[in-house]
Amino acid sequence: MKKLYEYICKGETFLIKVFLVFIVGLVFVAAVTRYIGYPINWSVDMAVCLFAWCTFLGGDVAMRNNKLMNVEFLIKKLPEKYRNSIELINFFIILIFLLAFIGYGIKLSYTTRFRQFQGIPGFSYTWVTISVPIAGTLMVITTINKIRERLAKRGGECRLQ
Amino acid sequence: TPAFGQAKYTLKFNHVLSPREPYHAGFQKWAKAVEERTKGGLKIEVFASAQLGVEEDILEQIRAGANVGQNTDSARMGMYIPGIAIMNGPYFVETLGGVERLKKMPTVQGWLDELANKFGFKVLSFGWVQGYRHFFTNKPVRSPDDLKGQRIRTPPAPIWQESVRALGATPVALAFGEMYPALQQKVIDGVELVYNNIPGGRFYEVLKYVTETGHIMLVNFEVISAKWFNALPPEYQKILVEECDKAGLETSRSIIESEKAVKADLIKRGMVVVDKVDIAAFRKAGEKAYEVLKIADVKDKVHKELGFKK
Amino acid sequence: MLLVFIIFILFLLMGMPVAFAIGIAGTLFFLQNPQLPFTMIIQLPISQTQNFPLLAIPLFIFAANLMNETGITHRLIRLAGVLAGHMRGGLAQVNVVLSTLMGGVSGSAIADAAMEARLLGPEMLKKGFSKGYTGSVSAITACIAPVIPPSIGLILYGTIGQVSIGRLFTGGIVPGLMMMLFLMIAVSITSKIKGYLPERKRPSLKDVGMALIDSIWAFLFPIALIGGIRFGLYTPTEAGAFAGVYALAVGAVFYRELTWKKFKRTLEFTIVDIGSIMLIISLSGIFGYGLAYERAGDVFSRFMLGITNNPQILLLLIVGAVFIAGMFIDSTAIILLFTAILLPLVSEVGIDPVHFGLVFMLVIVLGLVTPPVGVSMYTVCSILDCQLEDYIKESIPFIVAILLVDLLIIFFPDIVLFLPNLVFGKD
Ligand code: NA
Ligand code: NA
Repeated sequence: MKKLYEYICKGETFLIKVFLVFIVGLVFVAAVTRYIGYPINWSVDMAVCLFAWCTFLGGDVAMRNNKLMNVEFLIKKLPEKYRNSIELINFFIILIFLLAFIGYGIKLSYTTRFRQFQGIPGFSYTWVTISVPIAGTLMVITTINKIRERLAKRGGECRLQ
Repeated sequence: TPAFGQAKYTLKFNHVLSPREPYHAGFQKWAKAVEERTKGGLKIEVFASAQLGVEEDILEQIRAGANVGQNTDSARMGMYIPGIAIMNGPYFVETLGGVERLKKMPTVQGWLDELANKFGFKVLSFGWVQGYRHFFTNKPVRSPDDLKGQRIRTPPAPIWQESVRALGATPVALAFGEMYPALQQKVIDGVELVYNNIPGGRFYEVLKYVTETGHIMLVNFEVISAKWFNALPPEYQKILVEECDKAGLETSRSIIESEKAVKADLIKRGMVVVDKVDIAAFRKAGEKAYEVLKIADVKDKVHKELGFKK
Repeated sequence: MLLVFIIFILFLLMGMPVAFAIGIAGTLFFLQNPQLPFTMIIQLPISQTQNFPLLAIPLFIFAANLMNETGITHRLIRLAGVLAGHMRGGLAQVNVVLSTLMGGVSGSAIADAAMEARLLGPEMLKKGFSKGYTGSVSAITACIAPVIPPSIGLILYGTIGQVSIGRLFTGGIVPGLMMMLFLMIAVSITSKIKGYLPERKRPSLKDVGMALIDSIWAFLFPIALIGGIRFGLYTPTEAGAFAGVYALAVGAVFYRELTWKKFKRTLEFTIVDIGSIMLIISLSGIFGYGLAYERAGDVFSRFMLGITNNPQILLLLIVGAVFIAGMFIDSTAIILLFTAILLPLVSEVGIDPVHFGLVFMLVIVLGLVTPPVGVSMYTVCSILDCQLEDYIKESIPFIVAILLVDLLIIFFPDIVLFLPNLVFGKD
């Protein structure tokens, strides 16, 4: 189980890296081809589609590595015990939010199936919306791990080296 | 639940144009007329500059049954029923009278029913016309050949792209707000817009020539949720539709009237209106857009219903 | 809407990640308004990412990380050290100047702030600047970017208000340079107080020449980027992709410092940066919606209208109000909500729309760097791993510097209008 999750994490970061390189390439190619008079109009749409994936999957990676920005000055002053419980409350609220995020994300992905990318005929907008429930699911796993970590004070995550 | 003294029904109507465009005043006129006739029972709040959000997002909210509305075009409705895109094609209709009659054509009626029953869009009116699209460039253009190799900014939908390509130019998809700097820095060579867009965007500062091709009479759709619409009292439904058509035709007429004044003003500011434009050649070239998108049959059918000769 | 703000502050104080605090608080508005489809809490964050100008953010972050790994930054800093090392707060001054140069390339303050925190941040920390100071300088000097052309904010204002974008762009040049000057003065004064000493004596011409040759590719970087825009090769958003390709080419071909391993590491840094920053920006899409929906802009302006019709006092009131609004609302939303209402108001008392545009823009950009909702602020703090209260303490003198520039242009409209009148003639 743990092994499988590690593979998923690795796959996730690999995917975002590839997407990022594609975004740079697509935007670069869009400008160059337009400059020489043969514009490729779908490349920018493709880039913003990948941008959504980078944002939400990247959010999960940042969360897993404790790189999400937060305000600490108040809870830093609290004793360890209270601090731990407040963090637990936070993660439970986040968990509920993420579950709604997944549920309504699936609903929206279903309704956007007719909506096309203006610039890419035949390419459904669902390819963008589906990034939310998928990344949401990964974030739920991350959150549950954080909750377990706080409950049992033990590890069980895969981090970037 | 509405508080005492408030409107029973509220429609939040969104459009992407600036509040200084004639459409905004037109929508407000519509809102006022509806509020008066329903004695305050149905209130319309108009949001300019896409304050409520992105057009496509609003369309999804409409499908979900929200009390929102959107001014949109046939290119976007064409995503749901491909044939509708013809209304955005080159030289599809060329007079306001034609637009008025369009709504009564059997094929169009069928589309409207399908939009409402299958996709949840209630089209209140498509009597709103932004005017005639022309080419605005920095080189004089008289025929499709003159457009060859010119990068013309065009909205990203396929029907727009293919129409502009058929007319000879190279379409470039750019957001509306990026046009001015793109022209200034020669990222693009020209735009195709209606006269009324030019003063607001100050495009005369970066463009020299107008070619009055009138290649598209820009018909807009006023869309709300079918679910929300059906829940209104029948009396309100009737008022909402009637007043929308009325305000639309009135606004369209005054826009087309005002084009003369806008044109005169642009000439005064140094723009040159190109003479001896080969409209027949443009008209012929435009046919290709329908063929490429495989909607030529649909166009011919609706044209036949309208009594246009081929 | 008030509940949304209160809950947001509460979550922040509880130490919840900012992205979730902002998103979950914003969701409350949709729970209170069941007539709105709840799927909007998905739709709004996604739309934030489907915005082409925002694409500049990941592109410029990637470019900055590449420059760090390929030896470009290293050489740039050495050159900067030679040129500005004798000044107080040398690297901080470099940060100001680089922002002004980058202002000519990008129209986005957030992208610029992210880039500079990544580019100059580590070196500034090494030289003894505190995290809060480094973050403040990076974020607030980046506010020059949307004032100096090209500027996405000014395009938006000009499009909504039908004001000449050419005039607005030309009008932004002098205020942008004044911001640079005032921020340099602020750096100089604060460095003196904090004892950030000059690194070395005034450089000799030979030192400058040597450093210049060594860092020629790095030095050419902003100039090449501006050149590309002026020749119509790319738009300001696309410039980020060219910056990345430039850094790759220079690092791999000229400096030969870029290895496959370094490239992979750069990607790793970049995706974490993008994830943490973009998640905040994306989820903040849920937050401000209620204000537009409830027409908060209208109420506010009607209130302003009742107070005065003296142009200067009116402008001061607007600046004060927008400053406060900017603490809570995203800067794009402010332009959308207020332009259409404020512009007729100020035109009525005889204020030039180009003049107003710049007065307005200078205070709007501060919304990006002031708590509790300030995207540039969160961006630099998450890149530098800096505590918010440290940032806030250090940011005050720089915010004051920009407010001073704004005050000057309120009372001397010609600072803004002189150039556009010269180029385009009187309107
Ligand atoms: Na700029
Ligand atoms: Na800076």
